[in-house]
Amino acid sequence: MTKTVVLLCNCFGEIGGVLPLEEIAGKLRESGDGLSVHVLPSLCMDQDAERMGTLLRDEGADSVVAGGCPSPARRETLRRALGNAGIDPARCAHVDLREGCAWIHRNDPAGAARKAADLLAMGLASLEERGASSDVWTEVRPECLVIGAGPAGLAAASALARRGVTTHLVERSAQAGGMMNLLSRVYPGNEDGKSRIAPGLRELEENPRIVFHPRSRVLSVKGFAGDFKVLVQTADGPLHLRTGAVVVATGAGVFLPAKMYRYGELKQVITLMELERQWIRGIGDRKRFVFIQCVGARCPERPYCSTICCPSSLKNAVRVMEEIPGGEATVLHRDIMTPGAVLERYYRKAMETGVRFVRFREDAPPEVTGSETVEGVRFRDAAGGKAWALPADAVVLATPLVPGMDNRSLKDLLGIELDGHGFFAETYPLHPLETRMDGIFIAGSARWPVSSEQAAAQGEGAAVKALGILGQGRVSALSLSRVPGRKLGHGRVEDGSCTGCGNCVAVCPFLACSLQDTGNGRLVSRVNKMRCKACGNCVSVCPNGTMQIPEHNYRMVGAMIRKAFSE
Amino acid sequence: METASERSGGKPVKILVFACRWCGGIGAERAGWKRADLPASFRVIPVECAALVEPDAVFRALAAGIDGVAVLGCHVGGCRYDEANHAALKRMELLKVLLDTVGIGGERLCLAFGTAHEDHQFAAVMGDFHRLLQGMPPLAPWTGGGDEDSPRSVGT
Amino acid sequence: MALSGEPLRPGDASPDVLVIGGGVAGILASLDLARAGRSVCLVERAPRPGGQVARLDKIYPTDHCAFCPLWTDVRECLDHPLVTVMTGARLAAFRREGERWLAEILRTPPFIDEGLCIFCGRCVPVCGEEALSPLLDQAYPPIYRIDAGRCTECGACVSACPTGAIDFSRKDAAHRISAGEVLWATGFREGDLRPLPEYGYGTHPDIMTSLEFEEWTAESGPNGGKLLRKSDGGTPSRIAFIQCAGARDLRMFPYCSAVCCMHALKQAQWLKRRNGDLECTVYYTDLRAVGRDYYRYSKREPSGEAVRLIRGRPGLVFPLPGGGIAVKYEDTFRGDVRIERFDLVVLNGNLRPSLSPDREGDAPAVDREGFLDPAAGFGCGFAVEPGDIMDSAVQAAAAAMRILGRDKG
Repeated sequence: MTKTVVLLCNCFGEIGGVLPLEEIAGKLRESGDGLSVHVLPSLCMDQDAERMGTLLRDEGADSVVAGGCPSPARRETLRRALGNAGIDPARCAHVDLREGCAWIHRNDPAGAARKAADLLAMGLASLEERGASSDVWTEVRPECLVIGAGPAGLAAASALARRGVTTHLVERSAQAGGMMNLLSRVYPGNEDGKSRIAPGLRELEENPRIVFHPRSRVLSVKGFAGDFKVLVQTADGPLHLRTGAVVVATGAGVFLPAKMYRYGELKQVITLMELERQWIRGIGDRKRFVFIQCVGARCPERPYCSTICCPSSLKNAVRVMEEIPGGEATVLHRDIMTPGAVLERYYRKAMETGVRFVRFREDAPPEVTGSETVEGVRFRDAAGGKAWALPADAVVLATPLVPGMDNRSLKDLLGIELDGHGFFAETYPLHPLETRMDGIFIAGSARWPVSSEQAAAQGEGAAVKALGILGQGRVSALSLSRVPGRKLGHGRVEDGSCTGCGNCVAVCPFLACSLQDTGNGRLVSRVNKMRCKACGNCVSVCPNGTMQIPEHNYRMVGAMIRKAFSE
Repeated sequence: METASERSGGKPVKILVFACRWCGGIGAERAGWKRADLPASFRVIPVECAALVEPDAVFRALAAGIDGVAVLGCHVGGCRYDEANHAALKRMELLKVLLDTVGIGGERLCLAFGTAHEDHQFAAVMGDFHRLLQGMPPLAPWTGGGDEDSPRSVGT
Repeated sequence: MALSGEPLRPGDASPDVLVIGGGVAGILASLDLARAGRSVCLVERAPRPGGQVARLDKIYPTDHCAFCPLWTDVRECLDHPLVTVMTGARLAAFRREGERWLAEILRTPPFIDEGLCIFCGRCVPVCGEEALSPLLDQAYPPIYRIDAGRCTECGACVSACPTGAIDFSRKDAAHRISAGEVLWATGFREGDLRPLPEYGYGTHPDIMTSLEFEEWTAESGPNGGKLLRKSDGGTPSRIAFIQCAGARDLRMFPYCSAVCCMHALKQAQWLKRRNGDLECTVYYTDLRAVGRDYYRYSKREPSGEAVRLIRGRPGLVFPLPGGGIAVKYEDTFRGDVRIERFDLVVLNGNLRPSLSPDREGDAPAVDREGFLDPAAGFGCGFAVEPGDIMDSAVQAAAAAMRILGRDKG
């Protein structure tokens, strides 16, 4: 037998000055049998906690309707009182009588009074019909999966391993390092690619907690935050893993500018990556280098800036000036993208070493001239429109990073999303390393083109996010909430009435619904509570109301609708 | 003193508002902070996300004699539940078309996704909706019987 | 833990990490540390956390309202058992002591007690100095606050307040914090553009910095999102955004602030969306739209018309005698010098790290430009390197991880 107590807050006259609270209380007592209603001067002052707690305990209340202001941050005192009286906070319905009633209908006291009575009746009805979702707990697997052993993956794995987390580092190729293995120098310093990731490589070598799987691919990932069931195809055969979190650090590919600026046609028209290799093997006797930026980037086919091409060209241009006697470097660009303090300083340094910068307009790209090998570049200076012809020994094309080839299949495997360009997407701007799947994080150029330094920072960031889950012994489905406090509840399928239509499966943004075979030929929907976020889409698309969220179910809505307008 | 309702013509109107607890509810709260003068014709049911509003709930509200239903959600791209509101918006817009088709009138469903999160915006949305509904004839409540709270029976 | 042998006073604390600065970077770093089991004391100078982002109207590239993504994280910080948030708090003294860092925090309690203010507003009409204004954001209950600069402490509000929330006798309280590690997340503040007279800042009310303009045109701002001239309340038809005003300028801030190009584009696009006939011109040096979807964002055409982009840094901005503001610039694409008349001019580029070399006190070592010296400790966000929300969020997480990595075992 439920005993509900209604607490009406006078709010020092803010509510009571507009609404006839005693009258409203009187009518409520008459309408409900045994309904206890109290008008209190306030619900949120320190001293109110004890008063309310005692009152609720004395009346043996197990449910409360609190009519007052709507601010959740003002409910600390009420929470304490509920705690004192042993009442589950889920059994307290908050009704906004202030911002939503007294304060906006001051010129219509009769209307406000009617509305307040209706809102309280709706609150009571919601408590009567409100159900409770059951919770599930899962033991958190203490290990982590990192996919990709480039700078981001190495940083993530190192950070985790140093904290004592066994980390499985899965890498497609035979060695760790990713693109860093191909770079002879990394900006803004002068180290080579391998040196930049040396600490990570050392950790890989020395720390037994990093389990390295080269020449391996992830075949499937099922499960949820705290317990992902992973199947990896390693060089030694299939491997089953269970990890608490996953970090996706699979990097990106490089765009090959086929046919652009006569690449592939003329000798000495090369890409930045090819230039990297040539620094290692020998630059030859070339002196005059012309760099062309935005080749295949910031164009209709690839409408994005790839972040690192300008700094990379600057790095190589500076090297030409500093290491090649009589060297000349000219950078033809549409904008020089060196945001921030470090990169802007680098740009100034490049200017100081004598690198020349000329802007060209998007609609007037340069032209590479020559018959078998490069002779020069013709371009029009955007500043003023003057045409130039510059002799060149080599033309270096700065091309963008493109989404990795495996992104599409990986995204399906993991249930995470790609952005409009094909890179892995975060779920929310303030959480750039988190995806829509709890427990799966993204870092490095798999996420968006970044420098190796930024990739390492993102790897470390993803590691700390993973630690947030891995550090817990167990997690409950209701606690895996992105919003303060618990989740509202979970979707629940009523037995016997699910027709197996699959609407819920299709609409769920978190892939929490799936159709299961009951064994006698019928398919019914099942909700994975760990993934469900109680957004309610499944409920709204269910053709016969089988899918409900107990805390906001069909009966509850119906009861509130009926009580909304009492006259 | 004239109430906001009286100023707009006097005929009582009943509006049910489903407001999501993010952008949806924020405008209402701010309108309160600013002491906006609004007609006392609406009742708000807070929901976790606009996606939780079943099309059925809109029909039941109209069948119960409520003149209009407003659904307030976050702007497209701003949903906390990974764009759950995209599906919700599409669903609600289809519902508007359906309401038109069956003669109830799509105007009785007011949608504000990301356009009612400031006090003056909320006031404008509610004020406009109130005035619109005042100009429309009342809907008679359903009297055809049936188990009101079983979603699987005809009626309600 | 006792500090230097002295007994712990009430209000003192010894957290694992002291985070200085409660903006995006500080809040997110605190959460990451707390979720990994570390106790955190977060110190913020303003009455509420949120920093500069909380003051924006909208954020790019998603066009969210700025407070919205932030307030859930602020709320989580406040509710987290391992995080103590101190607002209205300044760092008064700071030094190393043995293995730990010792900080003295001075809290100036607001005249209005947040726990007692019910936002009834009865104090407002009785104040003769208009010193009361609301402090609103979704993470906290709304309250009023008193501008100490205008307040004469006459006490009229004290009697008007029904809950006794106002008390002028509250004194500064000093807290001693002994922390295992310190994280500097002090962000940026605005620099003064008057030393660069060619931009005309201060000569006309309609020449504003980008943050002033943001507040002026915000949906929740003084004009409810309506676009008006500050000088006469009229409707502007032409607005100029001048990029790199102060930034990338060896006379003032040699660095690039990283956020201004996107910030101007966002403002221009929102204005055009709300005012179809408005003409917006952005004078840029390099259009740095580098992050995810930023380039596409820069190409958007709200109201069917693109924002006008001119490459050139204006050389002179001055008020015209008949009204309006003149901007003299070189259109580098055309190679000619022109003067155009605008109703409003927005200057972008006066952001500087809060920890600048000319600050006093025990502030940590910074480089010539004001960015944190890595040897001085852990840092994240604009304090270390200019960047936007996403950059700060990444840096905050990385810094948290590095701090965790300092523990043995």
